[in-house]
Amino acid sequence: MTTAVAATATAARKSPSPRGLIRTVLRVHRPALLMWCAYVLLMTGWMLWVHHVSGAQARAAQDICRANDGVCVDFDAFAFEEGMSMVGAFVAYTSYAVAAWAGASLTGRELESGTARLAWTQSVTPARWLTVKLAVPAVALTVGTTVLMLVYRWIWSANEGVRSDEWFYGDPFVNRGPAVVAYALCALAVGALAGLALKRALPALGTALAFIVCFHLYLDERSDTLWPAKTLTGTTASRLPMSADQLELGAVTGSGARINDLSCFDVDTDAGYARCMADNGFTDLYAEVHPQSHFWPLHLMTTGLVLAVTALLVLASFHLLRRRTGGTS
Amino acid sequence: MTDTAIEAAALGKRFGWRQKGWALRDCTLRLPVGRVCAVVGPNGAGKSTLLAHAAGLLAPTEGGISVLGTTPSAARERMAYVAQDKPLYPQLTVAETLRMGAELNPRRWDAAVAERIVEEGGLDFGSKIRSLSGGQRTRVALALALGKRPELLLLDEPMADLDPLARHQLMGTLLADSAEHGTTVVMSSHVVAELEGSCDHLFLLGGGRVRLAGPLDALIAAHTLVTGPTGDLAPHTVVESRTTGRQITALIRPEGRIAAGWQTAEPSLEELVLAHLRAPGAPALTLTDEGDADNSRGGNGGDDDGETNGTRTHGASV
Repeated sequence: MTTAVAATATAARKSPSPRGLIRTVLRVHRPALLMWCAYVLLMTGWMLWVHHVSGAQARAAQDICRANDGVCVDFDAFAFEEGMSMVGAFVAYTSYAVAAWAGASLTGRELESGTARLAWTQSVTPARWLTVKLAVPAVALTVGTTVLMLVYRWIWSANEGVRSDEWFYGDPFVNRGPAVVAYALCALAVGALAGLALKRALPALGTALAFIVCFHLYLDERSDTLWPAKTLTGTTASRLPMSADQLELGAVTGSGARINDLSCFDVDTDAGYARCMADNGFTDLYAEVHPQSHFWPLHLMTTGLVLAVTALLVLASFHLLRRRTGGTS
Repeated sequence: MTDTAIEAAALGKRFGWRQKGWALRDCTLRLPVGRVCAVVGPNGAGKSTLLAHAAGLLAPTEGGISVLGTTPSAARERMAYVAQDKPLYPQLTVAETLRMGAELNPRRWDAAVAERIVEEGGLDFGSKIRSLSGGQRTRVALALALGKRPELLLLDEPMADLDPLARHQLMGTLLADSAEHGTTVVMSSHVVAELEGSCDHLFLLGGGRVRLAGPLDALIAAHTLVTGPTGDLAPHTVVESRTTGRQITALIRPEGRIAAGWQTAEPSLEELVLAHLRAPGAPALTLTDEGDADNSRGGNGGDDDGETNGTRTHGASV
């Protein structure tokens, strides 16, 4: 009986409800939360405008163009494409702003001004403080970026005929799935770690921003290696659809060697193709490509990689905090 | 229950990897509960480092520290800490700051205490922290600390920003609270005058090491200020001596009778502290409540079950 009471008491002592801490974090970062909501609303509105206004104009102009046998300069399509690429860029680069904020405001400023010490000497362990500090913005970021991702996906597929960017272009590739959410969470984690490690807002902002920019650009370059490419040969290789992401093109010589020679790629007829191959002494053509069906494998691999880095950053943050404060409980 | 508020054993902290970066070294001391303790020392003596270790904000490089009979992080809920620069969230109002105190200390918060301290300073609950003066901020920080109803209150330079009136009044509040609830108060300062009359225990730090530690009256009783013609003061331990003409004035720790011909006086707290600060080479002295003096640094850290008269007899024949 007494042991049961004592056990309950210890359990209660060990885990005070995190609600107070959550409310405190929300109150301290209220301006950032309002900014984030405004940004999501603004971007959603902009994307809807791109679809409903410039998209509608572009679609109407395209219909007129088709009626004229396609002989026209479609200025409305330019306007639509510009809008589309602008919103795409804003959504894809959201993580940059998140990293800057997280480094500067979430942890960096707290350590610089000493308010972190204020929080850690209440009835809250530093580890719990960091957990809530990460969890609350993580929820807001996940919800917000998911909304942006879904709206972007919808306008992207609803304007299939008028847009000119392909699935493998950097921004649409990231924006059309969970990778954009993962990048935002990664930015949050790197910002939190930079703030904890550097203990000052401005250096943490710079470091976190530099990391996420480099990481994003690096993966943008290298994400096509995250899934094996498909090798096409013959006329299938030379007559690729626009939607294929071309990694490497070339011809195969009599000795079986691959050479970077594209002279037979622009021959339209089968007869012309055969003549060109014979003239050049090629036995075959080849193309290493990612067909459109590779979007999800590539995208999910990218997402997984970003999330793995995020997890490492979070672990490093907790490790650093524990080592510095010596807190175990 | 333990009767020890803070116990440090060979505590050392080095910032960075430099060999010279020791902020605190070989610090062994013990503070019984219920005391109002002054941590005194020049700038850079290690006062803030010692308090931050007790508050569970820093991990020691070597040695250890226990607070209220357990680790600092396990005692987190039972102690309060006010850092030197009184950090508060500038974007919150006074009322929101106190609500934060209530939400982060759900099992201990006493709203009435916190509100009373804020009201005594005539502060508006609706004003933002960033609009407050340094002294007003100190008041809010103290309200937050006392509202937690701590068993141990750690205050790093608490009174630096306050005007004399507010200082007097807040010190009164602190001491009354300590007397009423048995709160142990530890406050650091480099202004010795502001501690005289309010503290009954002293830790004097210098260069990252403990110079003096023990009950204030015992420490004062262990020292004598002597004035006389130039001469040998052996066998007494001379902390500091100054010669003016043919006269010598010295602060000594008497070892046996003081020879006739010396004028003796009891030093004030300030004289005691200043003499030790001016003479960094003087041996350290740690006294405990039982009255046993220990000239080596390793103060007796055992339980003082026989707390008697709080003074000591050692060589006090004047």
